[in-house]
Amino acid sequence: SGELYCSLPNPRNVRFESINMKNVLHWSAPEGTGDGVLYKVKYAVYGVGKWIRKPECRNINRTWCDLSSETSDYEDQYYASVKAFLNGACSDWMETTRFNPLTDTKIDPPMVSVSSTDRSISIILTAPEKWKTSPGEESISLLQVYPGLQYNVSVLNKKTKKRWFFSISNNTLVVPWLEPGTAYCVSAQIHVPTPVLDSGFSK
Amino acid sequence: TAGVKIFHFGACRVPMSMTEIRAGFTAIKANIQSRDPIRTLSILSHPHSLHKVKSSDRCCITYQLFTFYVDKVFKHCRTEDSFVNRKISSIANSFLSTRRKLGQCREQNNCMCGEESTEKFKQILANYEGLNVTSAAMKSLGELDILLDWME
Repeated sequence: SGELYCSLPNPRNVRFESINMKNVLHWSAPEGTGDGVLYKVKYAVYGVGKWIRKPECRNINRTWCDLSSETSDYEDQYYASVKAFLNGACSDWMETTRFNPLTDTKIDPPMVSVSSTDRSISIILTAPEKWKTSPGEESISLLQVYPGLQYNVSVLNKKTKKRWFFSISNNTLVVPWLEPGTAYCVSAQIHVPTPVLDSGFSK
Repeated sequence: TAGVKIFHFGACRVPMSMTEIRAGFTAIKANIQSRDPIRTLSILSHPHSLHKVKSSDRCCITYQLFTFYVDKVFKHCRTEDSFVNRKISSIANSFLSTRRKLGQCREQNNCMCGEESTEKFKQILANYEGLNVTSAAMKSLGELDILLDWME
């Protein structure tokens, strides 16, 4: 069938890396192969009977492939696989573990906007959006994807180093009784109780 | 209590330790799913997705699915790994207590089975019976996140 004899070492560490459901397949080059290795990629929806080739990632020399649009339905789970080619030889297909976009993505910190009066701070938090696979696609906030999404907010008095923590479900917070003329540092994190997902704290 | 979620099925309220179950499953997910080599078949999600079930049928299909996991899945999922076995039995115990509460809903007539959920559950059983018991049970356990995602 014209299938090449697969004696090339396999691509390593084939896995999805996902942030805000931007789902990118990554791998490491086969051991000891140096330059010139080319790759092709295929993916499958779990439970559906066929593997699908990704044309944009055919005969590529980079070690990643953006499969966001192919894996954008987060009600499904997926597998992806990579094969390496060099000088007429090839490797085996190397697969990811099962990828569940809903539970296996990482979430960016929220956007934090702050306004103040002389004795209070008003904080407005905005959750990141689900990665858009094309500019025209409708924006979906991760709040819609994770209805139980909460915010953990930290407010630090830079003079006294005293810190307050708040955990809120809505996206606004007013911190009263502050000291006039004092600098405060506000930082926020997203917390999804189930499936458990936590972003880092915003800068 | 932290991590307990209340599911509302009509007039019926069913508390479930979702965070605990999710944490238990996450700890063994890679191990369990690696024991299921069949990519092309799913017990729960194909050909009919759980996400297409009407809300009026949610209580009934949830009760049927919990009964399915208690009676046909957990008991066939023993492994050689004691850590994995402990996590499985902890999840099974949570399912048992939730199924008991769902059963009470059924007795109070709050859990009606429409044609759609009956059909959907038949499909799930057909998918399950298409494999040998151990493979079917392990595949079903590996799909627990599909069930939990749908419930939430």
